[in-house]
Amino acid sequence: MKLLGGYSPQLLFYILNDLMFKKLPNFAVTNQFGLFLLVILFVLFFSFFTDGFSSRFNLFALSRVVAIDIMIGLAMMVVILTGGLNLSLGALGVSAAMFGGWLMEVVGIPIIPAMLLTLAMGGFLGWINGYVTVKTGVHSFIVTLATMSIYFGMMTLFTEAEAFRKLPETFTDFGSLKLFNKYVSPLLLVSIFFVFLLFYLFKFTDLGRKLIAAGANPDAAELSGISVGQMFIYCHILSGLLAAVAALMLTSRIGAAIPSMAGNLGFDWLLPAFLAPVLGGTLLSGGKVTVFGTMLGAVLVTLITNGLYLIEVGEFWIRFFLGIILLLAVLLDKAREFFAQKSNVLS
Amino acid sequence: MNFFSQEYFKKDWFGLLIVVLLSGVIISFFKPAFLSSFNLYVLMLSVSLWLVVAMSQMIIIAIGQMNLSVGAIGGLVAISFTGLMEVHGFSIPYAILTGLFIGLFCGFINGFLTVKTGISAFIITLATLYIFKGMNLGITEAQPFYQIPESIKNFGNAKIIGPVPYLIIIPIIITVMMWLLMNKTQSGRNMLAYGNSVQSSELMGISPTKVVITAHVISGFLAAIGGMLVVCRLQLGTPNIGDSWLLPSFAAPVIGGAVLAGGKVDVIATALGVIIVAIISQALVIFKIDPFFVQILLGFMILIAVFINRYREYKEERRKKIFIYEASHE
Repeated sequence: MKLLGGYSPQLLFYILNDLMFKKLPNFAVTNQFGLFLLVILFVLFFSFFTDGFSSRFNLFALSRVVAIDIMIGLAMMVVILTGGLNLSLGALGVSAAMFGGWLMEVVGIPIIPAMLLTLAMGGFLGWINGYVTVKTGVHSFIVTLATMSIYFGMMTLFTEAEAFRKLPETFTDFGSLKLFNKYVSPLLLVSIFFVFLLFYLFKFTDLGRKLIAAGANPDAAELSGISVGQMFIYCHILSGLLAAVAALMLTSRIGAAIPSMAGNLGFDWLLPAFLAPVLGGTLLSGGKVTVFGTMLGAVLVTLITNGLYLIEVGEFWIRFFLGIILLLAVLLDKAREFFAQKSNVLS
Repeated sequence: MNFFSQEYFKKDWFGLLIVVLLSGVIISFFKPAFLSSFNLYVLMLSVSLWLVVAMSQMIIIAIGQMNLSVGAIGGLVAISFTGLMEVHGFSIPYAILTGLFIGLFCGFINGFLTVKTGISAFIITLATLYIFKGMNLGITEAQPFYQIPESIKNFGNAKIIGPVPYLIIIPIIITVMMWLLMNKTQSGRNMLAYGNSVQSSELMGISPTKVVITAHVISGFLAAIGGMLVVCRLQLGTPNIGDSWLLPSFAAPVIGGAVLAGGKVDVIATALGVIIVAIISQALVIFKIDPFFVQILLGFMILIAVFINRYREYKEERRKKIFIYEASHE
């Protein structure tokens, strides 16, 4: 019996039973697996039917874009966890990045401290979102709608809508660096690092479990001694931090901190921000996060956008298709939920 | 009976009316140019557009949802309206009818998808926002339409009397109709009941499908009118019409005391909210303050309005509790 590590024979029986009679291992029926297949399908499709999809240049460009989309998706995901959302994501990120650009160019602080201060700024702006949401009890939609306008307005006011173009070269070089036989941008590695960090946070730390518990059932969490308000504020701070990271990466990629890099009011980030977590299987009602799903969702979105450009649908129709994809994604999500419930009832 | 305990002091719109009057008096005291005929004309023009946009959002807030695609519908209608006239040679009435129909149809899609799938209106309208906006850009390739018939240009410029523009007639009619709808009709009350509590409204026999689709169709219709009003005012149909509608569309109803969870909206207060936003934006121009301040201020005004609404709810709850406590200790 010692070989079995103290498992009772009965438990062993259950495990064997599980392995034998469940035809597919758990991973295969998860959302991530379906997404993974879709990603592979699209990669194959685009590399056969378009010129230049698998070219070194395109893959490098893709890795730079996908890196940022992953961060944006994660930044939204941690707020969706609370059952809320963060409309100010783009405005917040751009404000933080402009602050960073100002620190590097005008104040002349070395890169590392400047980046840390930028992250602190992102966290602070996120804290404002969280604090106001929790203290007023108003839905985060309206709070972040207001702060979106405030952050973006303040940023434009302070910078006078001027870009910071003379950033330190080490910082901008990082964005154009090519790794692995010039196929991959280091930005993607940064994103993957954050993916694993968040995975660790939500899977293996006390804090992460508390955050999920607070999002899943605030009342139950409160009763079991978790300060739900505080957890929600943490989620917003985390969202601000991740948005600041995304904006810093974008700044490094463009080579300048530009006020309009996320569109007016930072609205251009909103679609990838929602697409990635929703495709990845994060529940909009809160309480469930899928870090790897969000990553795969972001990859899928970037792939499709890139592919649409390559098959020349015209850049103006891309938004249209992304809107349709978001719609299909939520409809599929709903269908999956429905069938999951049905199979639960049956078993 | 104390003078201050009169019924209208407790209404949402009363406090706002005082704010409107006070701010008007204060601004015109410092800058008499505020009351100049030209300034009032500009003020009324901006009020007339935002009134329609705010009503379009308000009716969705009434059922406890939100419509991000208001601006996208307005933009799509604006370019279809002008494009049909310029490229396809539609006559004005047909172009207007087609524009309104597009608005109705877009609203119907929003409502249908929301109620049939049970997915939150936020995410549905976010998707349709990009779909409508994508269609807009795909059709126009980001180029504006310039050929607007003279009669439409004249309508956009003409004044009825003194500084009052013709353009304000339609928004005023819409506001009155909305007031009647929300306060005097069965379907308006049904919407508020649905917004207040989906479950109890269903138990009362109100059909959610009917309520949600009606509200979204009206919202799309109003957004369409808004888009066409902008065309009249700008005298051209640009694809970026509607891009900046999101914030103002929420600002006015929220300042007007609408509860975002649904079930409580006040048409008059929303209209006053529009006027307050317009006056303040105008004042910033008159005092030569950076226009970016308008955005910041609008954000702060939403937050402050939310705080005030919250505080009033809190007081109301307390008052009820004390009342119940006293009643049980009689």
